[in-house]
Amino acid sequence: MSILEVHHIEKHFGATRVLEDISFDLEQGQALAIIGSSGSGKTTLLRCLNFLEKPDKGTISVAGNLIFDAADPATQRESEVRKKRLHFGLVFQSFNLFPQYTALKNVTLARELLAQEQPGFKENKKKILEEIQADGRELLAKMGLSERADHYPSQLSGGQQQRVAIARALALHPDILCFDEPTSALDPELTGEVLRVIRELAEQRTTMIIVTHEMAFARDVADQVIFMDGGVIVEQGDARQVIEHPREERTRQFLSRYAEG
Amino acid sequence: MDMFLTVIGALNVGFLQTLKLFAVTLIGALPLGLIISFGSMSRFMPLRWLTKTVVWIIRGTPLMLQLLILFFVPGIVLDSGSPWPSGESGRFLASAIAFIINYACYFSEIYRGGIQGVPCGQQEAGEVLGMTKSQIFLHVTLLQMVKRIVPPMSNEIITLVKDTSLARIISLQEIIWAGYAFIKSSHGYSGLVWPLFFTGVYYLAFNGVLTLLFGWVEKKLDFFQ
Amino acid sequence: MKNMKKLWALLLALAMTFSLAACGGTSDEETTTDDQTTEDTAAESDLAYVQDKGTLVVGITEFEPMDYQDADGNWIGFDADMASEFAESLGVSVEFQVIDWDNKVMELDGKTIDVVWNGMTLTEDVLAAMECSQPYLINQQVVVVPADVADQYQTEDSLADLAFAVEIGSAGCEVAAANGYNYTEVADQATALLEVASGTADAAIIDSLMAGAMIGEGTSYADLTSTVALTSEEYGVGFRKGSDLAAALNEFLDGKYADGSIQTLAETYGVQDALVAE
Repeated sequence: MSILEVHHIEKHFGATRVLEDISFDLEQGQALAIIGSSGSGKTTLLRCLNFLEKPDKGTISVAGNLIFDAADPATQRESEVRKKRLHFGLVFQSFNLFPQYTALKNVTLARELLAQEQPGFKENKKKILEEIQADGRELLAKMGLSERADHYPSQLSGGQQQRVAIARALALHPDILCFDEPTSALDPELTGEVLRVIRELAEQRTTMIIVTHEMAFARDVADQVIFMDGGVIVEQGDARQVIEHPREERTRQFLSRYAEG
Repeated sequence: MDMFLTVIGALNVGFLQTLKLFAVTLIGALPLGLIISFGSMSRFMPLRWLTKTVVWIIRGTPLMLQLLILFFVPGIVLDSGSPWPSGESGRFLASAIAFIINYACYFSEIYRGGIQGVPCGQQEAGEVLGMTKSQIFLHVTLLQMVKRIVPPMSNEIITLVKDTSLARIISLQEIIWAGYAFIKSSHGYSGLVWPLFFTGVYYLAFNGVLTLLFGWVEKKLDFFQ
Repeated sequence: MKNMKKLWALLLALAMTFSLAACGGTSDEETTTDDQTTEDTAAESDLAYVQDKGTLVVGITEFEPMDYQDADGNWIGFDADMASEFAESLGVSVEFQVIDWDNKVMELDGKTIDVVWNGMTLTEDVLAAMECSQPYLINQQVVVVPADVADQYQTEDSLADLAFAVEIGSAGCEVAAANGYNYTEVADQATALLEVASGTADAAIIDSLMAGAMIGEGTSYADLTSTVALTSEEYGVGFRKGSDLAAALNEFLDGKYADGSIQTLAETYGVQDALVAE
C-alpha cells in the first residue's frame, strides 16, 4: 500500500486553472522529485498537500486513510486539518524561520506547544521539555549544526538557516517531508550543504517530495520524477529514465533548455 | 521664592492632571486600537467598512473639535441635561473618552502596519507545524509585530504627551491651563508670564524619560531582525 | 507568561464580541421618544431643573475682583459671594466651574454650567445668546499703554496710529472696530496686556475693573497705565436663553439693594464706585 495517494486534484485561482487532474502515488521510503518551469503548478501542488491551499476537486489519502476529499466538507474541518497536516512537513524556499527564536527553539517550539495540550503535561513538564530539547539538539547535530543551536537565524548563513528549517520540519516526525525549491534562495556555493543533507535523508529512506530545479540532483537522489507543465502532469516515472530518456516532446524541450542554461 | 513655590505647586497640580490623562489614554487606547485594527482587517466586509469609516472620521477631524462635540453636544441635544458629571471629573471623563477613541484610531493603523508587515511565510510556517491560529499569533507574529511598531508607537506616544494640552478647550485644568492662569490671575498673582513658558520644562523632562524608555525597549528587541 | 496569555485570550474574545455587537446593534434609536413629555415640563422651568438637581453650577474665569481664589482655595469676589448667596436663597448648593470664556454659551446650552457670573459685559451678542439679569456694575473700556509714553495718548484722537491688542469678541474689540483702529484679536484680556508689556502691541483696550486690579503700582504690570476711557458698559449675569432664573435673580438683587447689603459687599471688594444705582 502506498503511503501517499493523490487522485484527480484540480485547483483554480479565480478563472485560472493552475492544477488539472493531478494523480500520483508515493511508496514509503521513496523520494519523488517534481520538476517543471516556473508557473507549471508544482509549488501549488505541494501547498495543496500541506493544506495551505484547498483543492477544488480530488482526494488525498495517507497510508490508506482518506484525509482530504474536495466533495466531502467533513474532511475539511479546521480542527482536524491541524492534525492531518502533521502527516506532512514542509521546507520553504525562503526558510521562514522564526527570527525571534534560536535555532534550537525554532526546532522545538511546535512540539512544545503540542505537548502542552496533552493530558498529564503539567505533572511531567520538566521531563517532557528536556526530552524535546534533547531530540532538537540531536536533529541539529544530524544537520551538522551542533555549534549553532543557540544562534538566532540572522546570525546564520542561508545554507545553515535552511538546514535548521529542515530540522524543524523533521521534529514532528512527518510521514512525508516536502521541499519547495529548497536551494533556490541560496547562493550557488551554499546549495551543496543543503543538497548533501537531503541526500543523506534519502539514503536513510525518508519519504520525500522535492520540488527542484537541480536536475542532476533529482536524477541522483529521487526514485521517481514528475514533470509538470501548464498545471498538468506531462510525464512521470523512474527518475533516471525520465531525465535521461524522456518520452514526451515537452519534457525533452524543458530538459534541453536546462542543459543549455 | 514664595512666588516660585506657589507657581511650582500649581504647575505640579496641573501636571498631575496631564499625567493622569496621558496614562488613562494609553491604558484605554492600546487595547482598543488592537480591537479596531482587527476590525479594519476583518474579512467581513460591512465590519471592515464601518471600522474604516470611523477611523477616517476620527483621524480626519481635529481632536479639539472632537472634544468640543463630545462634551457639549449631548447636553444641547438632550432635554434631561448634560450627561457629564459636573465639575472637573466630568471634564476629565469627556477628555479621556475623546483621547482614547482618537488615539486608538491612530494606534490601530500602526498595529495594522505591524501585523501586515510580518511576512505571511511566518504564518504559513506556523500552520504547517500544526499550530493553532492563536498559537501563531502569540508565539510567532506578536513579538515581530511589537518590534515593528515600537518606533512609530513611540512617536505617537510622545505626541500624546503634548496633545493632552488640547483638553483645556473644555477647561480641563492641565499644566498649560495652570501656567496660563498666572497670566490672567491665579493664587493671588496676575500677569506672570514665566509660569506658562516654564511648563515646557515639565514636557521636556517627561518626554526625555519616555525617549530613554523607548530606546531601552528597542534595544531589548535588537536580538533578532 | 500565563497571565499574559489570559490577557490576550480575553482581548481576542473581546475583539470577537465587539465585531458581533457592531453587526447587530443598530436598533436603539427610537427608545428615547417616550420620555419627551416629562422632560419638556422640566425644561420649561430652569429654576425647577436647578432645584431638582440641587446645585447651581456657576461658570467663571479667574477674574479679580469678581471671581478669584483665596489662600485656602475658596472662590471669593464680588460675583462669587453674590452667586453663593443667590444659590442659598434658592435652597441649592453652589459649585464654581472655571470655563474657557470662548465657550460660555456652549457651556450653558450643553448644561455643563447653569449661569455665567463673571463680570460679563452685556453686549448685543450676549443679550441675544443668553437670558440676562438687570445690570449691576458699570464698567468702562480703557486704553492701556506703557506708563512712559502715557502722556502722548490722553485723547481719543492721539490713538489713531497705535497697534492695539484686544480680547476676541470683547467690548474692547467692538469699540476698536467701531473707531477704525488697527487691532489684533487675542485670546483674552490678560493676553492683551501681555502683548503691550512685551511690546508686540502698542496698546490694549480692557475693562476698567480689570485694569484697576492688574496694572500699575504693586502689580505685575507696574509699567503699564490706563489713559482714555472709550466707552462705558454694564455688567450682568447670563442664564440659558428663556430661563426663569434671570427673573429670580432680579428679584433677589432688588432685596439686596433694599437692605443695603449689596453696597456693603461692593465696598468689601472696592467696586462701590461702579455699582449701578437702584
